Amino acid sequence: MAEGDRLTGSPTEVRGVPDFVGRPGPSAYHRLNPLTKATSATVTAIAAVAIGGLVGPIVLVTLAVIGPALAAGVLGRLVRTALLLALPIAISAFLVNLFFFPGAEQVLLRIGPITATAEGLGFALEILVRILAISGAVTLFYLTTRPADLTVDLERRGVSPRVAFVANASVQTVPAMVERAGQITAAQRARGLDTEGSVWRRVRGVVPIVGPVILGAIAEVEERTMALEARGFTRPGRRTLLWAPPDSSAQALFRWALLLGLVALIAARIAGWPS
Amino acid sequence: MAELRVEGLVHVYDGGVRALDGVDLAIAAGERVALIGQNGSGKTTLVRHLNGLLRPTQGRVTVDGADASSLTVAQLASRVGLVFQDPDRQIFAGTVRAEVEFGPRNLGRSGSALRAAVSEALEAAGLAGDEGTNPYDLGQSRRKLLALASVLAMRTPVLVLDEPTTGQDARGTERVRAIVEAVAGEGRTVVAISHDMRFVAETFDRVVVMRAGRLILDGTPNSVFAADVWDALRSTYLEPPLAAVLGDRLGVGSTPTDASLIERLRAG
Amino acid sequence: MAVLTISLAGVGYRYAGATGPALLDVDLELAEGEVLGLVGASEAGKTTLCLVVSGLAPRTVGGQIRGRITLDGEDVDAWPMHRLSQRIGTGFQNPATQLSQVTSSVFEEVAFGPMNLALPRDEVVARTWTALESLRIDDLADRDPQRLSGGQQQLVALAGLLAMRPGHLVLDEPTAQLDPAGTRLVGDAIERLAADGASILVAEQKTDLLAAICSRVAVIDAGRVALVGPAADVLADPRLADFGVTEPSPVRLGRAAESAGIADARLTEALARG
Repeated sequence: MAEGDRLTGSPTEVRGVPDFVGRPGPSAYHRLNPLTKATSATVTAIAAVAIGGLVGPIVLVTLAVIGPALAAGVLGRLVRTALLLALPIAISAFLVNLFFFPGAEQVLLRIGPITATAEGLGFALEILVRILAISGAVTLFYLTTRPADLTVDLERRGVSPRVAFVANASVQTVPAMVERAGQITAAQRARGLDTEGSVWRRVRGVVPIVGPVILGAIAEVEERTMALEARGFTRPGRRTLLWAPPDSSAQALFRWALLLGLVALIAARIAGWPS
Repeated sequence: MAELRVEGLVHVYDGGVRALDGVDLAIAAGERVALIGQNGSGKTTLVRHLNGLLRPTQGRVTVDGADASSLTVAQLASRVGLVFQDPDRQIFAGTVRAEVEFGPRNLGRSGSALRAAVSEALEAAGLAGDEGTNPYDLGQSRRKLLALASVLAMRTPVLVLDEPTTGQDARGTERVRAIVEAVAGEGRTVVAISHDMRFVAETFDRVVVMRAGRLILDGTPNSVFAADVWDALRSTYLEPPLAAVLGDRLGVGSTPTDASLIERLRAG
Repeated sequence: MAVLTISLAGVGYRYAGATGPALLDVDLELAEGEVLGLVGASEAGKTTLCLVVSGLAPRTVGGQIRGRITLDGEDVDAWPMHRLSQRIGTGFQNPATQLSQVTSSVFEEVAFGPMNLALPRDEVVARTWTALESLRIDDLADRDPQRLSGGQQQLVALAGLLAMRPGHLVLDEPTAQLDPAGTRLVGDAIERLAADGASILVAEQKTDLLAAICSRVAVIDAGRVALVGPAADVLADPRLADFGVTEPSPVRLGRAAESAGIADARLTEALARG
């Protein structure tokens, strides 16, 4: 394919970057810069722990998680996903504190040898609210930010494209692995592996399923690496970006304000200021 | 009595895709059936109903007289052995022997019966000298033969192969053909999905053509590769084997295989 | 203007940790504007040779190489992979693993290579559209690469290589995992590229396909080039079966007729016509 022949020429008409590349999100919140949303999520999570009492975190979650989620139209999904994420640890933390809070005296309920106390309940509620706040903040970020948005933004700010790629690929890997595990399970069942029998039988079925998932993923890595290298992936330095999520000085100021506010909050708490 | 029977089979996947749109098929014991058609025509969906991996949305699947819906996949696996296309989505053992033993062990075989089944299968797949080898030290094509051996060793009355010759060279294809012939020779049933028209015409006595979830042709290679149905074949992006094309061009009738063409020319 | 050529002289290669060489004493040339077919039994060395020609062996795969590989007369021994990948594009048989899997549109997938080269944005965009158009998949530009058929994915992977503007292409069994429709799609695309003067080394089991598009064919056996010459000659060579290679359908049929004593002129003529 020498210079000058059809394959190296220009395209038939002048077309720019197509509009489906880097399509802006459906709501104003979605369209915020990923770093802004990430900062908000982090600050909310930490502040929820730092602020004392029960009212503080609840107000924070309402302003920083529920409000934006409503505006972004993801409230339903947020509640479902955040609860799913937090439930196991939230339930155990709640119960442990309710029944086993040390030095508590006000008894609410007795069930055999264990006792639920009022102090325990108070503390349990405080823990619960904070767990849900953290879960909610993280979930909000996850629901309103595409992985590519974040990695492209980081790349624009100087993160190595190869690091960004790994971050992106790791996220995408999970559904691919799940699909692969499903196919492997089918193949092993076709060879008589019993997945519908006793618990013991099912435990024995783990190796024939997990084994190929891992082996297959490893075998694929080499091929995928070669395909990437064949497209210049290992070239050091930056690469050209087709688009990047917009940012603004207002947002940058806001991010700094959030961070400073968090520092101030923590300092106040250390100094003993009640909230 | 049909060994495998499928009646009015409809299968709709979760996303709403209607992969099978009313399929009726009866396969007798000992038949050698090839299932052809482009990707997405429903071939894989159909064969997965034969061992219960998929259950009908509508219709019935009968295996050896019993309704498949009353049997678990593990139970059906003793009657219908299905070899998947990608060996790497199945192989997990550290040695070739252990991999081949897995299937028959699950079916309850042990001792000398197990050893005999495994040795026979390894021999047929050309892996007899590699019993202790790690499967991933074999090349891709031999791993495919290993996957085939691992199901062969289960000695099921029905053997279903999903694209057994894809990625195989001439010798590998020959081995697969020999295995099909040996299995059918014992009176067992073989069903194979394949894209290799020559392999299909030469190895199977019945060809079923699928398109968009339905059967559009069902008959001997002679009838399915005859010129009067080429349009139907081409509608699903299949081409008849060269021998069939030449047979038509030379006016000697339907000759799906090289051998049949030569015979007609010799006679005519 | 010098003819762009990849030359292998006395090339041997051994995989890391292997007991024996995978390639031995290979002399091969891929000249500009020609399509060279590569056939051989499984594990005879086709993939290894593709990896060596493309430079992935030893750079990415490891192992030891000996002999000389030159690109247009220049020794490429010291070239890093990203530099070589701009001259030689490599395609593999599994459609899905060739995709980066981090892009949400075919356009971005094909643009991946030029983006990595840090070319100006206009150049990236122009190359991407050209690559998509040359393979007639510009209508797939907004589709999710993971949801395409195998054949379409192979074309996207091929477009991704073309966007690097390589002088040569090395394709290792590009149609191996495809159904007849996909094979036709990719086969036609390769034929068009070849007709436009592309330089392609294509390894395949499907000798019928190679018979249609190759000017020369090389047979590899146990790591050595056993036979090389004009496609029609090599594919009709009686030794092909010994090398574990399936003869093209007309050759096989013609041979069977001959041994059956059939000297039908109409048959010979029909076979010759193809």
